[in-house]
Amino acid sequence: MPDVDSAYGELAASRGLELLSSCSTDPLTPLLVEAEGAPLSPALRGALADGVEGIVGQLAYKRNKTFRFHVAYTQVPAATAFAPRVFCIRRGRSTRDDEFYGFEARHSKLWTESTALNERFAVTTSPFQDPVWLRRLFSPSFVDWLRTAEPADFSFELAYGAVLGSIEENEPSADGLAALCDATAHVATRIREECEE
Amino acid sequence: MQLNKVGIGLIAFFGLGGLAIALAPLFVSLPAEAVLTMVLLGGIWALVAFGLVLYARHSQRKAAHQDWIFQQGVRGTATVLDAGSSAKVNEMPLMSLRLDLEVPGSARREVRRREIMPVFAAARMQPGLRLPVYVNPEDADDFILVW
Repeated sequence: MPDVDSAYGELAASRGLELLSSCSTDPLTPLLVEAEGAPLSPALRGALADGVEGIVGQLAYKRNKTFRFHVAYTQVPAATAFAPRVFCIRRGRSTRDDEFYGFEARHSKLWTESTALNERFAVTTSPFQDPVWLRRLFSPSFVDWLRTAEPADFSFELAYGAVLGSIEENEPSADGLAALCDATAHVATRIREECEE
Repeated sequence: MQLNKVGIGLIAFFGLGGLAIALAPLFVSLPAEAVLTMVLLGGIWALVAFGLVLYARHSQRKAAHQDWIFQQGVRGTATVLDAGSSAKVNEMPLMSLRLDLEVPGSARREVRRREIMPVFAAARMQPGLRLPVYVNPEDADDFILVW
C-alpha cells in the first residue's frame, strides 16, 4: 500500500505543486464543517489542472471514529449567484458517526431529475434553486461524465463558490490523487462555463 | 427545520418502543405495580414520538408554504446590515439578522429576522451581503430569505 506522504511527494513532483506541511481550513462546505477546523496535512498548492488553481490535501478528523478523506479545493465565485449550493455526494458515504439530532435546518432538497446520476450520487441543492440553471449545469454530457468519472469514490460540494472534490480512500496512490485533482478541476470548469453562459 | 434520517429513527424508536413497553403486560404476567409503570413509561415514549411527528408535520407545512412563496412571491433584495449568533440549535447557529429590504412595489424598510442555518452558510452572513428575498404577495411581512 503506498505511503500517503510519498504519494503527495510524487504528485508534487509530477505536477509542479508546492508541498505544504499543513494548510488550515475554514468551514466553507459541509465536509469542512464536519472536520471542525482540522487542517489539510500533507497538502499541495498550485494548478490542479490547466487553468484551475487550488489545494489538494489529506483531511482527517474524529467524530467518534476517525474519518479520512483526500480533498481538492478550488473556487468559482461566480457560481454563488446561480447556485449557492450543489452537493453531489456518492451514495453510502458517511462523514460522521455522532449524529444525534433528528431535525436540521432546511438548507437542501434532493434533486432527482437525473435517474442516471442518482444511481451513483445523492444530489442536493438549495430548496430555492432555479431548476433551469441546474438542468443546464447537469447537461447530458456532464451527467455521463459524472456517472463514470474516476476516482470511483469521488464526490463534490459547491457552496457559495467554494468547490471541494473528495475521495474516501485511506492511502491513495499519486495516480489516485491526480485523478482527484483532474475530476475536481473538471467540475469547477463545468460550473464556470455554465456561469459564463 | 426538516426531519432527517436520525429523526425518522427517533420517531420509530420511541413510537414502537413505547407501544412495545405499554403492551408487554398483555403478554407477560406481571405484578400490578409493574404493569402500571410499564404502561406509563410506554405512554411517555409514545407521547415523545407523537410530539416529534407533530413537529415534523408543522415543519413540512411551513416548507410547503415557503415553496409557495418562492413560486408565487415578489422577488426583492435584502442587504445584511448586521448579523450575529448567540445560540445554537442542533449544532447550527441561530442567526439574528438585521436586513434592509427592497421589494418592488413596497417602501424600503428595515426588518429583523432569525434563521437557523448550517455553519457554512452562517459564516457568509456579513454586513453588506445582498441576498434574494421572495415576499408573499398577500402579506408583506411574510417572506423567505434565500441564503
